[in-house]
Amino acid sequence: GSPIPPMGQPMQPGMQPGMQPVMQPGIQPGIQPSIPQQPLDQQFGQMNLGGAPPAPMQQQQQMPPQQTPLNQLYPSDLIGQPFQVQELDLPPPSINLPPNTSVTSSPFANCPPKYVRSTLNAVPTTHSLLKKSRLPFALVIQPYTSLHDAEDPVPIVPDQVISRCRRCRSYINSFATFLDHGHRWRCNMCNLTNDVPQAFDWDATAQKNIDRWQRPELNYSVVEFVAPQEYMVRPPQPLVYLFLFDVSYAAVTSGLLATSARCILESLDRIPNVDRRTKLGFMAVDSGLHYFSIPPDESENGDPKMLVVSDLDEPFLPTPEDLVVNLSQCRQNIETFLNKLQGMFQDTQNPASAMGSAMRAGHKLISSTGGKITVLSASLPNIGYGKLEVREDKKLLGTSKEGSLLQTANSFYKSFAVECSKVQVSIDMFLFSSSYQDVATLSNLPRYTGGQTYFYPGWNAARTEDAMKFAQEFSDYLSAEVGLEAVLRVRATTGLRMNAFYGNFFNRSSDLCAFPAFPRDQAYVVEVAIDETLTKPYVCMQTAVLHTTCNGERRIRVLTLALPTTETLANVYASADQLAIATFFSHKAVERALGSGLEAARDALQSKVIEILQTYRKELAGGNMGGGGLQLPHNLRGLPVLFLGLTKNVGLRKSAQIPSDLRSAALCLLSTLPLPLLMQYIYPHFYSLHDMPDSAGTPDPDTGEIVLPPRINLSSERIVSYGLYLIDDGQTQFLWVGRDAVPALVLDVFGFEDRTQLKQGKTIMPIIDSDMNARVRAVIEKSKDHRSKGVGSIIVPPLYIVREDGEPSLKLWAQTLLVEDRADQGVSLQQWMGMLREKVVQ
Amino acid sequence: MDYENLKEQWSEIEDKDGVRLSWNTFPSSRMEASRLVVPIGALYTPLKEKPDQALLQYEPVSCKAPCRAVLNPFCQVDMRARLWICPFCLQRNALPPHYKDISHDQIPPELHPDNTTIEYRLARPAPSPPIFVFVVDTCQEEDSLKALKDSIIMSLSLLPPYALVGLVTFGTMAQVHEIGYTECAKSYVFRGSKDYTAKQVQEMLGLMASGLRPGMAGIQPQPGRAPPPMGPAARFLLPVQQCEFQLTNALEQLQRDPWPVANDKRALRCTGVALSVAVGLLETSFQNAGGRIMLFTGGPATEGPGMVVGPELREPIRSHHDIDRDNIKYYKKALKFYDNLAKRTAHNGHIIDIFAGCLDQVGLLEMKGLANSTGGHMILTDSFTSSMYKQSFARVFDKDADENLLMGFNASLEVLTTKELKVTGLIGHAVSMNKKSASVGETECGIGNTCSWKMCGIDPAASYGIYFEIASQGGPNQMQQGPQKGMMQFLTYYQHSAGQYHLRVTTVARNLSGPSGDPAIAQSFDQEAAAVLMSRIAVFKAEVDDGPDVLRWVDRMLIRLCSRFAEYRKDDPSSFRLEKNFTLYPQFMFHLRRSQFLQVFNNSPDETAFYRHVLNHEDVSNSLVMIQPTLDSYGFDHEGSQPVLLDSTSIQPETVLLLDTFFHILIFHGETIASWRKEGYQAQEGYESFATLLEAPKEDAKELIQDRFPLPRFIVCDAGGSQARFLLSKLNPSTTHTTGSYGGVSQSAQTIFTDDVSLQTFMEHLMKLAVSGTG
Ligand SMILES: [Zn+2]
Ligand SMILES: [Zn+2]
Repeated sequence: GSPIPPMGQPMQPGMQPGMQPVMQPGIQPGIQPSIPQQPLDQQFGQMNLGGAPPAPMQQQQQMPPQQTPLNQLYPSDLIGQPFQVQELDLPPPSINLPPNTSVTSSPFANCPPKYVRSTLNAVPTTHSLLKKSRLPFALVIQPYTSLHDAEDPVPIVPDQVISRCRRCRSYINSFATFLDHGHRWRCNMCNLTNDVPQAFDWDATAQKNIDRWQRPELNYSVVEFVAPQEYMVRPPQPLVYLFLFDVSYAAVTSGLLATSARCILESLDRIPNVDRRTKLGFMAVDSGLHYFSIPPDESENGDPKMLVVSDLDEPFLPTPEDLVVNLSQCRQNIETFLNKLQGMFQDTQNPASAMGSAMRAGHKLISSTGGKITVLSASLPNIGYGKLEVREDKKLLGTSKEGSLLQTANSFYKSFAVECSKVQVSIDMFLFSSSYQDVATLSNLPRYTGGQTYFYPGWNAARTEDAMKFAQEFSDYLSAEVGLEAVLRVRATTGLRMNAFYGNFFNRSSDLCAFPAFPRDQAYVVEVAIDETLTKPYVCMQTAVLHTTCNGERRIRVLTLALPTTETLANVYASADQLAIATFFSHKAVERALGSGLEAARDALQSKVIEILQTYRKELAGGNMGGGGLQLPHNLRGLPVLFLGLTKNVGLRKSAQIPSDLRSAALCLLSTLPLPLLMQYIYPHFYSLHDMPDSAGTPDPDTGEIVLPPRINLSSERIVSYGLYLIDDGQTQFLWVGRDAVPALVLDVFGFEDRTQLKQGKTIMPIIDSDMNARVRAVIEKSKDHRSKGVGSIIVPPLYIVREDGEPSLKLWAQTLLVEDRADQGVSLQQWMGMLREKVVQ
Repeated sequence: MDYENLKEQWSEIEDKDGVRLSWNTFPSSRMEASRLVVPIGALYTPLKEKPDQALLQYEPVSCKAPCRAVLNPFCQVDMRARLWICPFCLQRNALPPHYKDISHDQIPPELHPDNTTIEYRLARPAPSPPIFVFVVDTCQEEDSLKALKDSIIMSLSLLPPYALVGLVTFGTMAQVHEIGYTECAKSYVFRGSKDYTAKQVQEMLGLMASGLRPGMAGIQPQPGRAPPPMGPAARFLLPVQQCEFQLTNALEQLQRDPWPVANDKRALRCTGVALSVAVGLLETSFQNAGGRIMLFTGGPATEGPGMVVGPELREPIRSHHDIDRDNIKYYKKALKFYDNLAKRTAHNGHIIDIFAGCLDQVGLLEMKGLANSTGGHMILTDSFTSSMYKQSFARVFDKDADENLLMGFNASLEVLTTKELKVTGLIGHAVSMNKKSASVGETECGIGNTCSWKMCGIDPAASYGIYFEIASQGGPNQMQQGPQKGMMQFLTYYQHSAGQYHLRVTTVARNLSGPSGDPAIAQSFDQEAAAVLMSRIAVFKAEVDDGPDVLRWVDRMLIRLCSRFAEYRKDDPSSFRLEKNFTLYPQFMFHLRRSQFLQVFNNSPDETAFYRHVLNHEDVSNSLVMIQPTLDSYGFDHEGSQPVLLDSTSIQPETVLLLDTFFHILIFHGETIASWRKEGYQAQEGYESFATLLEAPKEDAKELIQDRFPLPRFIVCDAGGSQARFLLSKLNPSTTHTTGSYGGVSQSAQTIFTDDVSLQTFMEHLMKLAVSGTG
């Protein structure tokens, strides 16, 4: 069987097929065993569902805390036992809940780590214990794990019977308890007793009783409720895309306009439009705002009209009609328009871009419905509202003043983003400039509106690789089933409080995050504070995302995570999740970098890792300095190298060579990427290809998935001069050809013998009739496969061929990904560990 | 003196020179001049069509600077020495070398005595082909908009193929259509509520030199790309042969303004912004190149600068009474806006025509400066579907025998005088060029203090009232022999629609009067020209002064004229006699007083502006029709038409009347005729003569309409019908409801309900006052 069952349809009541892969504790998503498909009744039979709740339920409250054994602390020597990359692939410490914590015995009752991951899988019962641990308590939340529902369906509660706690507003979940013969339920967050709604056990469609124990919200920790009327402020809005095309000289000559227009044209069928309400609008921007009025297909004249507004002071709509049009009703004329658009500005000489004014106009255009503004720009907005200047100065790079370049240059971009958020307008920036574009400032727009910044430095459609990368990504972008008019809130057991939120959204109130559009390729970090002593053996945290689907349905996606509590530091450490911790500090580092500069951010990371090491040494290792003298429990052994990777990431690295646009774009990634991609971004994947096992690059006989070669540590010591390697940070792939690569290998992989004939730089793998070529290509492809990583993403990393004895700058660039090496101003892993030891021991 | 003979002479001169003078003998002293009452004036039609006139293909011979008078038949030429003496400055000038073969038998045309008016085609070419910018209001009913679009599309075929055309449309917003763009329909949109400066308009249309805008430091245009050949404006203005398809398409695609209009609101119409954008479009790239901005408006401006009424329907548009009571919310601001725009447009050398197709007012009153200062047309019609509009509009594009449009651009009219005469001003559709010369007088009449005026638009019918005074230090010129002559020369430079500059020169010479009391002066009085010239002054005054003041001025001047030139015994009205060439003048003044030009309250302010505009454009005979309409009677007792008095007594049951007020042509069936017509006798055998009687005035009316511009409103009505009021309002109320009917007046005559005095009463008063010497 396959780990992802082919699920095409939403869940029906009473029908709970074996859906998502079972996230059994101790099994990491990437290497999970396959779950054989089982007939439904069998599954439920095993779950012991049907009929009365299992008997032990009533005893739950009387169970003394800590009866359930938690994860054990396995100390390890960091120096004597060097870090091996495979350790990063280990699953997070298991969540060991007391038996019968959940109301049903469903194996899906607790939240799988691919949706929500806690930095601590055993929660300290007191604030002081948490403080003492020096570890953060935070959730890494990724409500969606794919761009499309069909790729990772979630059980749906369709009957609009939504039982929520009267006091804390939590949704009923598998950790609630039923009382009073099932007429009432006790909230697992605040302990309040609530009435069970009348319709809870009633199927209104079939007009018959249903078995409560089959309700999805009692069996699954990740469910989606279809929301009734009262969850709507207004009827669900249609999906609206407003495209703002930069048509300045730079954008037109780089081929951006033509490529984007063609790509939209070819992706029209991919844009979600099940309800046939999806609307599209188009504007072109140079020194003026070009609106396009596209008539409905049935009208006499189907030609588009271009209406130019050059009054940038107070942009206005030139006509009340046909500027944002229904995709289904205007399909033909939209196609006509997009075909024409590619040539409309071909003779332009206009060097100006009034993108700020254009966005204000766009805001005006779609503010009544809300929607997405997709900006495709190859130039700095140099005129009109939010006009920006080229402020980058090469001399500032690498100095303490560099940080100012990462800050917002014009307050318009923050205040306008907030204005957009209020009217449910989300902005995505696709940036293509070959010169300075002020990504730092522009990225504010996506940051506060639930959007994303996609950066394509020096992009030119004349390079096939560039054109294809963007076209693929943009097409996937258009196909994504985004949510609309969304809010995210996390509720938790009394005593816990959501303290800080990280990610792209606007914090509308202290604990409410607003997303005009909810993306499917981002993750969020929420820091949790412990306000009161936790008395229960476990705590719950429930994330709810209220949103409108792009098909016009109002829904609430609810993710409920239960974690055991502990009074001992050892348990806390033994259950800490190093990847979640690294993710948390990635967000903190970005915050720090934007606030106080890069140096401060790097310093903070370093002191944090030292602090953790010191705490562990002092509190748990009893000062015992065994072997190398630097210790951490097994489950945290990756922390030092992940922190090193973070400080060496292009966003944070100490260097005088990194243009600030590149840095800013990296900071955007560091604060939005889903955890698996973030880990790859700070500690790239590295494969040796010339000597990969025979199975690598071929489909696994059981799963059909391509088998990847084993990952190797990111150190040049692992590189042999005759080797072939793939380095992949998720954003870029480097195919490294050693200086002594033998002709036979070169021939097998590339189709010719002479290594020096290899086209270096950005390229596409040739397809030749050779087994090795096929396997290398399969590995390269598989390395890009977001689905197997359990994330939704549009990113298609470009492939660069690097010859060890070839273009030095290219080689140098690839080497910056070798995190364990010493390079430029960065230390090697060995130096890093030595330095940490020095600081910790003193 | 044979008055008929004189009239004929003047008429010949008018045919030849396009000039009618109020006095054809000039007083030789200022004293004498001061007693004329009616000023010396010329009603001059510079481009009067002269089909057989030779067009000289060489440059004119001019006197030395600063005089610059042009060689003319009144110059003394020394054939042998090849010298000529300028009659205006008395300087000697050498004839140019190519005149070496000049002799008494062989003189150049400009010296021929018959050629007191002559035209040169100059070497100087026009800076660009003529430009036509259509400014179209889209706040209209579908049928009206359709008719308008059709008429404009039709006009494209009337334009020379090289003429440049452009399109601006407006409603809630104004749009400039980039007809040079072929990928799709493209237009630049301007907010209707904003007062854009000239510079902003040009920036926003990308008309600045490099297409760039200020404040974009460090941004250079892409190198290696030359600007398009005709400059940035070529995107909007293209030769009609090149863009006819595009423009026709753009026009055909024009929809009603898409912005919703509530039931209790007027459509938002930003006429002011549309015009200012159109003006700005031509301003940068085509300054002083001939061009017309043709505004087609279906209602009042209700938005932005130049709005004349608010969008609330319950708020009515201003009336004369509102203006009188100073109850005008937008008037002054709008007037100022349009006047400034008019000034700018005139400065740029462009014309603004206004075509109104609306039952209600559109704000002509406020906008009148646009047409008046630029020599544009003003056409006021009920709807663009009306034939009045369609035919008038088509007539704008009338052509001469050579297929050239009958319109001139960017004209300047300069007046030179001999030293006895000084020019005091001009009244007509022109602006001052502020040129001072020895010919400029001390007083001011109309647009004065200059000897030169600019007419952005000029056409063969355009007539200008030019006024003169006698210089204080006059006196006969001792050096001249024979009768002393006063002279004036009119130099009209203009861009001919064929693409070259032309100069028309009219030289007028008249005898100066002899010693004090010379009867030649009185005998030279052209009462028709005088009446028209005085009407223009009266209207000019009325534009600034109160109605009653102007009427008093008209009366006072008439009384003084009569006191001065009538024969009478002091204080004996019955002894009052006027010479033949004065007898009609009081009648003209009587009708002028009653006319819509001075009695505004029966018309809307827009109509007043329109009527006055037309009066200031027409020649003597047309103007007289406007002042004193003609009335012809058709009956069984006479063949064809018979002129009858413009009097209520002319209404008889068995006659048909044909009234021509210039603006209206009305056929009126007397009571009996009307009833027969209703019975349908005209269709029956044996009543052919009745049918002929009904047809005759129609035929004559057609004749009258033939070359009239704008096309008059045509009314057919019956006695007792409501439309008959047009006739009644024009008739002398010899029988009013206050007079009753008695002696000499037919019992059947129409009684007119009016408080006006009748002509008879008016004359009685006039005689009494004239002879009392109190005038
Ligand atoms: Zn609760
Ligand atoms: Zn002279």
